[in-house]
Amino acid sequence: MTRLWIPGAFVAAIILVALLAPLLDLPNPIRQDVARRLSGPIPGSPLGRDEFGRDVLSRLIWGARTSLGVAFASALIAGTIGTLIGLIGGWFRGLGELLTVRLVDVILCFPPILLALLVVTLLGPGAATLILVLSVLYVPGFARVAYAEVLSARSNDYVEAVRALGASTGRILLRTVLPNIAGPVLVQFSLAVAAAVVVESGLSFLGLGVVPPAPSWGLMIRGARATMEQAPLMLLWPCVALTLTILTMNLLCDALRDAVDPRTPAQRPRRRLVDRLVPGLLPPPAVEPERVLDLRGLTVEIETPLGRIRPVDDVSLTVRAGETVAIVGESGSGKSLTATSVIGLLPPAARPVSGSAWFGDRDLLRLPEPVLRQLRGGAIAMIFQDPMSSLNPVHRVGDQVAEAIRAHRQTSAANAQAQALDLFRRVGIADPERRLRAFPHELSGGMRQRVMIAMAIANRPALLIADEPTTALDVTVQAQILDLLAELKRETGTALVFITHSLAVVAEIADRVTVMYAGQVVEEGEVAGVFANPLHPYTRALLAAVHEADAAPVGIPGVVPQPHAFPAGCRFAPRCAHALAACAASLPALEEAGEERRVRCIRWAELSGAREAAA
Amino acid sequence: MRWFLRRIATCLVLAWAVSLVVFMTLHVVPGDPAELLLSTGGIAADPIAVKELRVKLGLERPIFDQYLAFLGGVIRGDLGTSLVDEYPVTKEIALRLPRTLELILAGTLIAVLLGLPAGTYAALHRGGLFDRIVSGTAALLLAIPVFVVGTLLVLLLAQTLKVMPAGGYVPFAQDPVKHLTLLTLPAIAIAKSLSAVVFRMTRASVLDALSRDFVRTARAKGLSPTRVLLRHVVRNALTPVLTVLGLHMGTLLGGTVLVEYVFNWPGMSTPLLRAVEARDYPMVVGIVLTISGLFLLINLIMDLLYAALDPRTRAA
Repeated sequence: MTRLWIPGAFVAAIILVALLAPLLDLPNPIRQDVARRLSGPIPGSPLGRDEFGRDVLSRLIWGARTSLGVAFASALIAGTIGTLIGLIGGWFRGLGELLTVRLVDVILCFPPILLALLVVTLLGPGAATLILVLSVLYVPGFARVAYAEVLSARSNDYVEAVRALGASTGRILLRTVLPNIAGPVLVQFSLAVAAAVVVESGLSFLGLGVVPPAPSWGLMIRGARATMEQAPLMLLWPCVALTLTILTMNLLCDALRDAVDPRTPAQRPRRRLVDRLVPGLLPPPAVEPERVLDLRGLTVEIETPLGRIRPVDDVSLTVRAGETVAIVGESGSGKSLTATSVIGLLPPAARPVSGSAWFGDRDLLRLPEPVLRQLRGGAIAMIFQDPMSSLNPVHRVGDQVAEAIRAHRQTSAANAQAQALDLFRRVGIADPERRLRAFPHELSGGMRQRVMIAMAIANRPALLIADEPTTALDVTVQAQILDLLAELKRETGTALVFITHSLAVVAEIADRVTVMYAGQVVEEGEVAGVFANPLHPYTRALLAAVHEADAAPVGIPGVVPQPHAFPAGCRFAPRCAHALAACAASLPALEEAGEERRVRCIRWAELSGAREAAA
Repeated sequence: MRWFLRRIATCLVLAWAVSLVVFMTLHVVPGDPAELLLSTGGIAADPIAVKELRVKLGLERPIFDQYLAFLGGVIRGDLGTSLVDEYPVTKEIALRLPRTLELILAGTLIAVLLGLPAGTYAALHRGGLFDRIVSGTAALLLAIPVFVVGTLLVLLLAQTLKVMPAGGYVPFAQDPVKHLTLLTLPAIAIAKSLSAVVFRMTRASVLDALSRDFVRTARAKGLSPTRVLLRHVVRNALTPVLTVLGLHMGTLLGGTVLVEYVFNWPGMSTPLLRAVEARDYPMVVGIVLTISGLFLLINLIMDLLYAALDPRTRAA
């Protein structure tokens, strides 16, 4: 708010002084006194006298009156006419639009000062000419703003509603649309005033704006320029006054614009794994050779305006060579953050604060960035959810794949292109020679995801992480991409971590599954076992929804809680049909529930026994 | 290709609209334009002089004939003769235009060379000391009117410190060093607000690009930070910067009038200001048309550059 009030107060003070000029008992700003020409500060004239012996302070204040008067008058006229034009153009569209908004747009084809000079030539200089010219100059700005707002407003429900009630067009425009566009028009108004002050002073400086002897800052600078050797201060005062006015007006405009269109600035976090700084603090665990990835107790924290949150809390996961592990959960369960922290691509605000991610004998969470970079796209590759936004729109897809190859292997550009062509064939892109030279927007969604996959397998990774690779695609294309991934996995023996919110996909592709809820693992095990006998109530609810394709889990009311509002006890308890008082009391541990099977529910044995008894 | 032709057609339509507006200005003012041009400070003009001027400006003929003659002249590059000394307007412009162009080019070059790296660096170290200092400076630069900067530069560097000439012009062929020395201050004045604009836009669009998925993909490929920055962040951030640069060309072209005046640079502004003061209408029209045409042309070039940088526009 201070951003709005401080410049606001400044501008208000300037306007107030200008308004009160006649009451301030200042010397006459145009009375000449050649005897005291260019005198320094003298009694009655704290800033001295100018080249005609006129009082400088008085001229500064009266000059503000002239500048602001011209600026406000023209912004008001332009605002009224421009808003009206925009309203008409936006409401009637078609010919009305052409004759209003498009027509005034032609004004924007002229550099502003030149159009002003053209009119000054015809009408002669003077405040009235200035107001006319400046009004014309700022009409298109208002027309555009009002036009855009009307277009978005007319599709709004309330306008439709008033329309359906039979209100006349003029009435709707005045009563419903106008108040709604007040914000943007106000911003435009402040912009126009600030711009008008600049143009007015510029034209006056050229001697083509305000006519002497009337006081104006531009004229004062023009006059003082001739005598700047004898009296440099005389030049400085109007320069400072003008700059300060425009600066505070600009700041006010920025603040107003932000107030009308608020966007929260992101925070800068500073917290990392403490022991990254002290290597060897924790002894490395006995490495099990067949484990490609061994994630232990990963916790990710994000600093937010609401406090520090833990969207990933103590998550462990193992992936063996050649195995596919699925991570399942609704959005907000922390599955993507888990995956991206493994390759060090967490969003800037998020930091892993504890745990380890063993890839062979190296802890990915503690590797220095240059080493991690060599692994990324090399031994560990990732496929993202939305292939359109994940591909760079301005580079050819072939170049983007070749770039991945050349980031890890010394090879010529031509060779990399040839390899990219091979990869395109392997991922089943038809007409690969031509497609290499295509831009992302020229390909279909499925084709783009194939490009992403080609990029990911380019350096034969030992671990492939796929973050919802089919979510953004059509159902038929989804199946093709799943088939492709399964086939590539068979051929190369790559371990695959597959993140999804759909258990149907899990059944198709995964060997083991980890179910996540609100940043924690709630159940894990072999796919067959979990599907046949889900132990956690959440898993059961997810399974019940499988047949509904991607629909929200049935039978679970509510949504995943926000990380800053996680319950103290079992995080699923508020939505669980089987919750007891004990569930909310303390966080349940992840218990062993058989071979390769873990579940986080204090009632799992009891509930599963009851089901068996019922069966 | 079709996109290209359509863009050129739009440009031509706009150029025609501009010429129409300029032509109409003379006719929409209330009263007799000739009388207006000859009257000063409310003193009525000499009726004989008014009649002569009406003939000279062709105001006696039907308006449609006048328009055809005007349009034909514009297309042939004949913009009439000065009312003051009968000198052909086109000839005057041909002499002055290259000097104005040189000034604009030098100013833009300085602005881009300063604003682009500074904006990128500020975005990468957002909230840091450099970012805060330069962002504050940019706000100040945008607030100081160009003629104030020019005048203050003259006061400081020429009058007080006496390290730079106050202004003037020497042809390049005559003395290249002197020519460039004299070019420096006006070019800096021109670059003043443009560099602030380029800085702000670069900073914003690099910040935007940094948050894009494709930058994450580039990092996921294991590319070096420099390569990610240049090929995926800055390269993609350039297009919005270019758009904004085009939008500010109008202010920039207007600014040259003031800068040339302050530094005595004999570009288009000298005859323009002289003509406005002398109410030499054909000269003013010729120069306004030329600079507006230049404005349209620069925007066309910007759009073509934009298409070269962003393949998606070519398809649309």
